[in-house]
Amino acid sequence: RIMPVRWSRYNPSYLEPEVKKESYQKPLEELTEEEREQMELKAVRPIKAAPPSLSSSVFSDPMISKFTNMMMKSGNKVLARSLMSQTLEAIKRKQLEKYHKAPENEKETIECNPYVIFHQALKNCQPIIGLSNITRGGKTYQVPVPLTDNRKRFLAMKWLITECRENKHRRTMMPEKLSQELLLAFNNEGPVIKKKHVLHKMAEANRAYAHFRWW
Amino acid sequence: TLRLICTTTAVQRKNVGASGPEKYTEAFIKKQIEEFNLGRRHLANMMGEDPETFTQEDIDRAIAYLFPSGLFDKQARPLMKHPTEVFPEQRKIQWGEDGRPFHFLFYTGKQSYYSLMHETYEKLLNVQKHQDQLIAEDLPLQKEKRNLAGSRWLTKIELEEMLLEKVSDDDYSRFIQLLQKLVALPCADIEEKYIQKFSKEVPVQMQKVVIEPLQHDERGVAFSTGEGTRKTARATAVVYDNGTGKITVNGIDILHYFPVLQDREQLLFPFQFLGRIGKHDMVCTVSGGGRSAQAGAIRLASAKALRSFVTEKEVEFMRQAGLLTVDPRVKERKKPGQEGPRRKFTWKKR
Repeated sequence: RIMPVRWSRYNPSYLEPEVKKESYQKPLEELTEEEREQMELKAVRPIKAAPPSLSSSVFSDPMISKFTNMMMKSGNKVLARSLMSQTLEAIKRKQLEKYHKAPENEKETIECNPYVIFHQALKNCQPIIGLSNITRGGKTYQVPVPLTDNRKRFLAMKWLITECRENKHRRTMMPEKLSQELLLAFNNEGPVIKKKHVLHKMAEANRAYAHFRWW
Repeated sequence: TLRLICTTTAVQRKNVGASGPEKYTEAFIKKQIEEFNLGRRHLANMMGEDPETFTQEDIDRAIAYLFPSGLFDKQARPLMKHPTEVFPEQRKIQWGEDGRPFHFLFYTGKQSYYSLMHETYEKLLNVQKHQDQLIAEDLPLQKEKRNLAGSRWLTKIELEEMLLEKVSDDDYSRFIQLLQKLVALPCADIEEKYIQKFSKEVPVQMQKVVIEPLQHDERGVAFSTGEGTRKTARATAVVYDNGTGKITVNGIDILHYFPVLQDREQLLFPFQFLGRIGKHDMVCTVSGGGRSAQAGAIRLASAKALRSFVTEKEVEFMRQAGLLTVDPRVKERKKPGQEGPRRKFTWKKR
């Protein structure tokens, strides 16, 4: 069914742009059936313009840009971007400190790449199942419900940011707080992971109402 | 419901045919046609031309000559056209003199829509029967794929014009789903003619843009120009060959003009995509808009200029990466009765 949430200045026939260079250098034989159809469709349909936050350089990562947008307040993208880069720098510094202090055999297990840490931490924070309010016969029940990928990512990022903004000491800087949280989440510790476990336990407790879901 | 902001001409025409039962009887239209033909012959005699070979263009010219009008609106000037163009096609009265309707589905309310659905389903069953026959005889099923990319289904308004009655969004989507189901079956080639009634060709030719050839400087350096816009910013870029990768904007180096990393990333995006970062020099002029809009405008201008340096395949890759389309997003206007484009005034109970 055609049910868009917002209007868009583009005609509905416009397709999303593909920015990564590697996808254009694949030879024809390696593509699957669906990819071939996609390619044919792309050759005929018009394509939307690439947004300013997207670029084909190695440094642009869609998850990082999404996180930066969520951290942004009143459209101050410059500040959000600088906070993000300071966070990644802080993570790298902490990991390098640990690396130089560790004995020889443990040096290989310490992960120094801040992007890898960020992605792994987000993955660890994502809940598998969520709760939704369903009203039946006047009473509202919390029903366990499977979540889509987008929703999981959004919840993980939202929890991280709210955790950093509210539950820390007022004078600490955001990059410090965020890097601390991300490192804890990377090791499956910390308040965000606890929140995820609490949600899972609530869902398990309300298992009896799972049949209320109709979608 | 979908609100189309960017519309094609097919969508903008109002469908008069479905508004209700006919306002003009058949006899009336026939009389109008006879009068039109007589008038055409009289006009031809007046102009001194042959009544048999008097075409519509001649009629228009004659009317413009005999009744000159200074009105601006072309549709307000004197008009003489064939009655089928003047009186739009409308549904004839669906019942006879005794009050009995002609069509068996009249009392459903949407007789043409339901009869169309029944027909399409009949075709579907036919195709399935044919398929079963082929399977029973162990013959291979034909798997010629229709070119889905070059055609589109009829829009809701076109369907309404075809059926001469109103079609709701739900009904339209159900019909399209049924058609897609029909097309998805392997032996759908049997009903190809029926399907073609409901599909239209999307013109591929509209994407053919002429790529300008390279021009040459006094020193023999090849260069090309491009123009780009974004929101209110207008930019022109001149890309020189055999360069070191220096980019100058309005006479200032990009490091001073764009202090933000994101804007510089956008400027380098087309070059990085094609892998030509150190090979070209660029001089651009930009005016209007804000920081990000100017960066987007220069990006579009440089991408358009780079088309002349690069093979056709790479131009196609650039188009698919979204580098060559003008971004249509602009600031939405403020509406009366609201504080901003979307924000409403604070609701006060009293």
